[in-house]
Amino acid sequence: MKKPTLVKQVIFYVILVVIWQLIAMSSVWPNNLFPSPYEVAEDLVYTASDGSLFLGIGTSILRLLIGLTIAIVGGMLLGILMARVETVNQTIGSLVLGLQSIPSVAWVPLAILWFGITDAGIIFVTALSSMFAITISTYTGVKTINPHYIEAARNMGAKGTQLAAYVLIPAAFPHLISGFKQGWAFAWRGVIGAELLFSFLGLGFLLNVGRQLNDISQVFAIMLVIMMIGIVIDGIIFKRIENKVMSRWGLR
Amino acid sequence: MTKLEAKNIVKYFKHESHRLKALGGVNLQIEDGEFVCLVGPSGCGKSTFLRIVAGLETPDEGEIFFDGKPVTTTGPERIIVFQEGALFPWLKVQDNVEFGLKMAGIPKDERAQISKRYLDMMQLTKFADSYTYQLSTGMKQRVAIARALVMDPDVLLMDEPFAALDAQTRDLLLVEMQLIWEKTKKTILFVTHNVTEATVLGTKVAVFSNRPSTIKKVINIDYKRPRLVEDQNLFPLQQEILSELRPEVKKS
Repeated sequence: MKKPTLVKQVIFYVILVVIWQLIAMSSVWPNNLFPSPYEVAEDLVYTASDGSLFLGIGTSILRLLIGLTIAIVGGMLLGILMARVETVNQTIGSLVLGLQSIPSVAWVPLAILWFGITDAGIIFVTALSSMFAITISTYTGVKTINPHYIEAARNMGAKGTQLAAYVLIPAAFPHLISGFKQGWAFAWRGVIGAELLFSFLGLGFLLNVGRQLNDISQVFAIMLVIMMIGIVIDGIIFKRIENKVMSRWGLR
Repeated sequence: MTKLEAKNIVKYFKHESHRLKALGGVNLQIEDGEFVCLVGPSGCGKSTFLRIVAGLETPDEGEIFFDGKPVTTTGPERIIVFQEGALFPWLKVQDNVEFGLKMAGIPKDERAQISKRYLDMMQLTKFADSYTYQLSTGMKQRVAIARALVMDPDVLLMDEPFAALDAQTRDLLLVEMQLIWEKTKKTILFVTHNVTEATVLGTKVAVFSNRPSTIKKVINIDYKRPRLVEDQNLFPLQQEILSELRPEVKKS
């Protein structure tokens, strides 16, 4: 990141916290509805010191990783099949579009009935919330591959899984990355949403506990943590991969 | 010995509702070790003919025979070099060159040995670890030729490989191409719209007529090598080819 950008961002957040503090002090809203930044920080320190925060983060991230891995593997497989086999596209393809439009929390009742209040249920919701976005971007990615890449590869003897592993996936990678990014965002919404409704460990659970205890600073604190994890994964991890891929593939 | 034989190749282009007869019965016989240039008005289907020989497209009528056996699919004994090279941007130059060997399951050490020979031949050794976006258009075409030669094909099929190059680079590669042909004794089928290029490279020049195309005339060129683009002695041949080509271009 360029220095001036970083400076601007630091200044922005400092101002934001100051305004937040001022609003909290002005008692426009009662303190039990609008905590001050200090109270939120205090809550963070407290939940961090008794370990419950880290347990929550760890649980949510683990569920995210398992769910997202399932979604990536399944989504890519389905996407490649749809792009390469016309019949699959004409049949399953239309279903995928429908499934993709189901909001992630709408999977929760089904997950609870099928899996009960278990990790598997939450992972199920996570995987299904993100899988079809990944399927669609894989499909688009494979469909828009320069046909000469595929022809050259076939000409040199690549076929079947070899063709998929050494040509289709790498050639579609710039598209796949944006699919993974979308998939991760859906998965993250899925995890938190499911945890809220399952009320079974994780950050979503902590959020729900905050509500039940009327502990507004905990609600604020956990939301802050959810957002920060998002910034780290999106802005740092994905940004890096994306930059590398774009320059390597000669797209920048 | 006859290496390749095209018997009455007919191919239609499908253009939404109507069909356009592109190849109207192409007959051509190519002996082992010949360097045959295909020239013709643009859109006459000479590239399509090459793709049919490569097995990337199937003719609507007629057959291609390779060593007396009918061609049904693509195969590493007939390797095509595309106009833009179709190099894989996710692979380094050396890995691009070794791609076909990898698909054939040849171990890494052996691959490196083989590719080194062709990287040397194409003066690419320095660039073995570069990615393709770091190369000039001329260098990319060298890599594409090396990648094809590594497969040790019986027939090299080249689809206007020098069309996108600047004049100096092209002239250089025209000389190198002749040296490669003399050194490797490959049978080469070379599509071009450039008559000078055809007379410099070919032992034979086949002139395509306008659609529906047939081969209008085959001109033999028995002249010392390496031939240079500016060689005055090639002028009469070029005139002869142009006089065949001109009425066809007008019709198209």
